[in-house]
Amino acid sequence: MKNSLRTALVATAASLCCLAAQADTGKLLLTGGVSTVDGAAGGGLTPWAVIGSNATEGEIGATAHVSRAKTQDYSLTAFGAAVGYKDRLEISLARQDFDASPAIALNGIAPFGVSPGQHIKMDVLGLKLKVAGDAILDSDTWMPQIAVGLEYKSTDPGSLQSVLNFLGTKTTGTDFYVSATKLFLAQSVLVNGTLRYTNANQNGLLGFGAGATGRDKPSLVPEVSVAYLLSKHVAIGAEYRAKPNNLEDVGRGAGLGDALAEDAWKDLFIAWAPNKNASVTLAYVDLGRIVPGITGGRTQTGYYLSAQLAF
Amino acid sequence: MTKTTLTSTVLAIAMATSTWMALPAQAQTNPMASAAASAPLYQALGEKAGLTALMDDFMARLLADPRTAPFFKPANQQHIKEMLVVQFCMVSGGPCTYKGVDMKTAHASMDITKGDFNALVEVLQQSMDATGIPFTAQNALLAKLAPMHRDVITVK
Repeated sequence: MKNSLRTALVATAASLCCLAAQADTGKLLLTGGVSTVDGAAGGGLTPWAVIGSNATEGEIGATAHVSRAKTQDYSLTAFGAAVGYKDRLEISLARQDFDASPAIALNGIAPFGVSPGQHIKMDVLGLKLKVAGDAILDSDTWMPQIAVGLEYKSTDPGSLQSVLNFLGTKTTGTDFYVSATKLFLAQSVLVNGTLRYTNANQNGLLGFGAGATGRDKPSLVPEVSVAYLLSKHVAIGAEYRAKPNNLEDVGRGAGLGDALAEDAWKDLFIAWAPNKNASVTLAYVDLGRIVPGITGGRTQTGYYLSAQLAF
Repeated sequence: MTKTTLTSTVLAIAMATSTWMALPAQAQTNPMASAAASAPLYQALGEKAGLTALMDDFMARLLADPRTAPFFKPANQQHIKEMLVVQFCMVSGGPCTYKGVDMKTAHASMDITKGDFNALVEVLQQSMDATGIPFTAQNALLAKLAPMHRDVITVK
């Protein structure tokens, strides 16, 4: 199943290359952002108000990406594609594959039946609509580009389902967000602020909401990206993504202290775009604690590497 | 008549009309060098000589790029270059006064999409790279020019 989805995505990306001749005009380099792990256009972690791909009004464009992140105890592979329509609407689809091998330690707490080397898979369907402003061309005002979006997420936890049942989390959820993005062109600085309404745990990898003493309802969490354009082809930046931390109290209620605590995600990144059709992003990520109860309370830090093709 | 031919014809008429009707641009050269010294962007662009070199390169590229050539081939290229030098001089803080046609009038009769506008900006970036204008100065200039998109883009 996984291989045929990947094949389908590659085939789709290849067939979309024919649109390149029509859609190769339009955007300035790197101004469409790169692809987030969830598939929407933005920084690596946070969706921006820009519409992905090179297409401007009257045009349709597409992007495809593959990403890998690795920290001390976990790793994540993600891939996906997005279509931008008339620089107004963006539709994205992404698949995340999270190596949750440390979770086998949970069998020591209760007979959860977690399999060795268990992966959690999550699919994200994203929709984003630009509602106002132009991130680049409105350089004489403070007005940002504003977009609203949603990410419908569906998680397949495999043998970890018993754990999610214990935690009282659901396996599907929808995040809603509003993003405001502005490129301060005279200063070569891009700033993005996103407000997300979500009840996802670890972005959805640990399900949505929480039972018992946890927080089940969505909360508003802020996300910020700042990027500096070093040159036409290179941008550096930082991102910060707050998290709702719904599960910590479930852990406390079960006498496990902060075993289920969740922290903000942060990164420092550098993005390189040799031309309008390709970009590579490398980041140092700090994903905070991810189920610290089974990872010795460690903060998960490591690298994130992503490649994107755009048409 | 194809759309391109019609557009070129209308463009040619519009440019001819605006050339005939517009007051000749008076580049008011100020003998005081300090006027230029207080405009760092104008200096970074190479002042008058730099802008002239930039426009020569710019027009050549506009004519060579298939996305922009249809708009500029039928136009009075020398006149446009002279207008652009004065306009860029002015927006970058230099001692010039632009007395040509306003952007809205100059472009009103053309079909210019956001894609066309962005193509021109891209060509301008290429010219600025070729004439050695530093990246930060490029962005500072683009920041001054970008709001003109409201008058230049005619096809929403």
